[in-house]
Amino acid sequence: MNISLLQRIFFFALSCCFLFVLLVGSVIWSSQSLDLAFSRDNYGQQLTNQTNKLKQLVANDNIYDSNYSLHQWQSLQLKLTSLLKLSPNLTVQQHTIQISLQSQNESLKSLFTLINKNKLKHASEAIKKHLKARLMIQLEAIRSDSLQLSAIAKKDIYNTMESEALFIISVSIASILALLLGAFSLTNIVRKSLNEVKRAFEENSGGDYQKIKLSHHSQEFDSIAEAFNHMNEKLSESTVSLTMMKKIVEDRTHVLEQLSNTDPLTKVANRRALFERANMEFSRAIRNKSKLTLLLLDCDLFKKVNDEFGHLFGDEVLTHICKICDQEIRDIDFLARYGGEEFIIVLPNCDIAGGIETANRIQHSLAKHCLSMDGKAISVTLSIGICMLNEQHKSLDELINDADKAMYLAKENGRNRIEVLPSPNLH
Amino acid sequence: MVTLLVLIGAGLFYLNFEYRWQPPKYPVIIAVSKTPLSSPFYVAKAIGAFDGTCVDVEFDEVVGGQRAFAKVMNGDADFGTSSDSVIAFKSLASRAFVTHAMFVQSDNDVKLITRASEKINSAINLKGRKIGVTKGTASEYFLSNLLALEGLTTEDVKLYHYKPEQLVNGFINNEIDTFVPWEPFGFKSAQLLHDIVKVHKTKGLNTLSFNLISAKADNLLVEKAKCVIQGLSIAIDYIASYPAKSKKIVMNELQLSAEFIDWVWPDYIFKLGLNQSLLLSVKSQAVWAIATQMSQFNEVPNVERFIDSRALLQVIPDAVSIPH
Repeated sequence: MNISLLQRIFFFALSCCFLFVLLVGSVIWSSQSLDLAFSRDNYGQQLTNQTNKLKQLVANDNIYDSNYSLHQWQSLQLKLTSLLKLSPNLTVQQHTIQISLQSQNESLKSLFTLINKNKLKHASEAIKKHLKARLMIQLEAIRSDSLQLSAIAKKDIYNTMESEALFIISVSIASILALLLGAFSLTNIVRKSLNEVKRAFEENSGGDYQKIKLSHHSQEFDSIAEAFNHMNEKLSESTVSLTMMKKIVEDRTHVLEQLSNTDPLTKVANRRALFERANMEFSRAIRNKSKLTLLLLDCDLFKKVNDEFGHLFGDEVLTHICKICDQEIRDIDFLARYGGEEFIIVLPNCDIAGGIETANRIQHSLAKHCLSMDGKAISVTLSIGICMLNEQHKSLDELINDADKAMYLAKENGRNRIEVLPSPNLH
Repeated sequence: MVTLLVLIGAGLFYLNFEYRWQPPKYPVIIAVSKTPLSSPFYVAKAIGAFDGTCVDVEFDEVVGGQRAFAKVMNGDADFGTSSDSVIAFKSLASRAFVTHAMFVQSDNDVKLITRASEKINSAINLKGRKIGVTKGTASEYFLSNLLALEGLTTEDVKLYHYKPEQLVNGFINNEIDTFVPWEPFGFKSAQLLHDIVKVHKTKGLNTLSFNLISAKADNLLVEKAKCVIQGLSIAIDYIASYPAKSKKIVMNELQLSAEFIDWVWPDYIFKLGLNQSLLLSVKSQAVWAIATQMSQFNEVPNVERFIDSRALLQVIPDAVSIPH
């Protein structure tokens, strides 16, 4: 059964109230019981006193005297009879005594009537004495009963007080235990549940979206746990999306980076990417004292191709050249569009011979793979200037400039050629 | 939860212990006088008041307290029910018996029944009459008291001794004109003879009590007496609380009519006690018996030695108001 903390507190308070009411009730009950027991005791004592008076009367007076006045006896006897009629509520045992008392009183009346009948004129002294003794016996019987009634009441008073004291002590101990137990239980539930919620929050902040599992169930903490678990579920869902989003963004960024470094027409690296990579290779070659060769390629008579076959074909030519170049270079080599119909190939760890070889392979491949336009094979050629890094090159621009010079030399020397700018001290 | 389980376990153990631990049961035979005065015994048996005590009670029903006394003295019964008159007479004979408790009193148990035609209106008219009594019992004591009221003694009348149940036969056979029976013979005689007899109003003249007696008691007998008294106490409280039911029990046990029970019941005082009243009553009867030469003994014994309050003190100490 899932009980709310409020309900627990309510039950707890209700239990305390119940114990309190029990305590107050028992005090009221015992005070009433004591009151009744006192009234019974008082009743017994009154009867004893009344009987004692009658006994004294019989002992002192000569009841056989012809001048003996019955008035005093009758008055005391009447009082005793009236007293017997006004008995308080009695216990079973006392009720037995009360019945005995009433009967004894009737016997007393009968005996006294008998004694006073003609004052026993003819009776012997012995019988008179005997009957007077009987009268005393009868009164003694009433007195004994009254004393017993009173003694029972006294015992009841003692027992009631004792049982009430025991009850108050028991209820008080039970109340204290219940209070301690209730307080401990409530504190324990709240403390444990709070710790569990706190731990869950801490785990959440660490990115571990675990469900809260409460060791003690209460409606309040259960609802918190439910809301938290629901939130965690949603959070873990949205967190997966963010990761994906991050990946997409990374992908996009990568694409954008590629786009920013790629020539849109030929899909090879653009001038910006060229300088970035070439500078890096330049620095590395300087630092490692390694070889670095640049090929600068220029499509021969490209303006004429454009004019003759149109710009679209011209674009196709450029793409074709790039494709051929890409096929003929090594993985570590870097091809980029330098501008217009000019391309640069960066050849790290490559000397002039390697550059010439690469240039030759490109030219041969280009010659072999012609483009066609309306079924007619159209051949394009490349003038390639080669330059290798040397001590005179202080910057990439100077290296490019030398390669450019070699390329113009190739142009001047009749196009579709490879020219190398000789360097006095090769590495 | 654990506390609850422990409490339930302790409770079950206690109940089991209570169930298994039964006090030893002593078989006792009680010679019970077949009179409504023995009502507490019949009621106790009927409501199972002895069940929770240490005795397993068997009744040996007898007619009259004297026979009950004889059974106890012969060892045929452990306890008996006897009137204070019997106790008084037997104390004179210094028999080795004790009284454990008085359980009923009646001031109208013994009746004076005369032949209606004899016109006997006062004790003075009894002079010279043939009167039937049961010797050495309340019957004889009652008659002597009655005669003394008018200055007469048993010498002034012709006494005839009968067993209590035989008194009425003596009357029917004209052997006697007057007889002094106790109940239920008084009622039975009145019912049988209707207008032939006159039952005199003598309430208050004599108080008769019925008592639990035994042979001189050792500790074991006192223990048994205690248990018998416990049962009687339960029965007496039951009688006070449920008089109609109690009357019915006695009617069934003694095969008595409702008329008879209604006749005697108001005169009965059911109550356990050992008080001065009993001592004085026994003593005065003993004195009277000597004074009127009803007994062959001349010395009034110390009646207190025939009272053993040890058992009653353990059950209802407040009911004992004599030195102990």
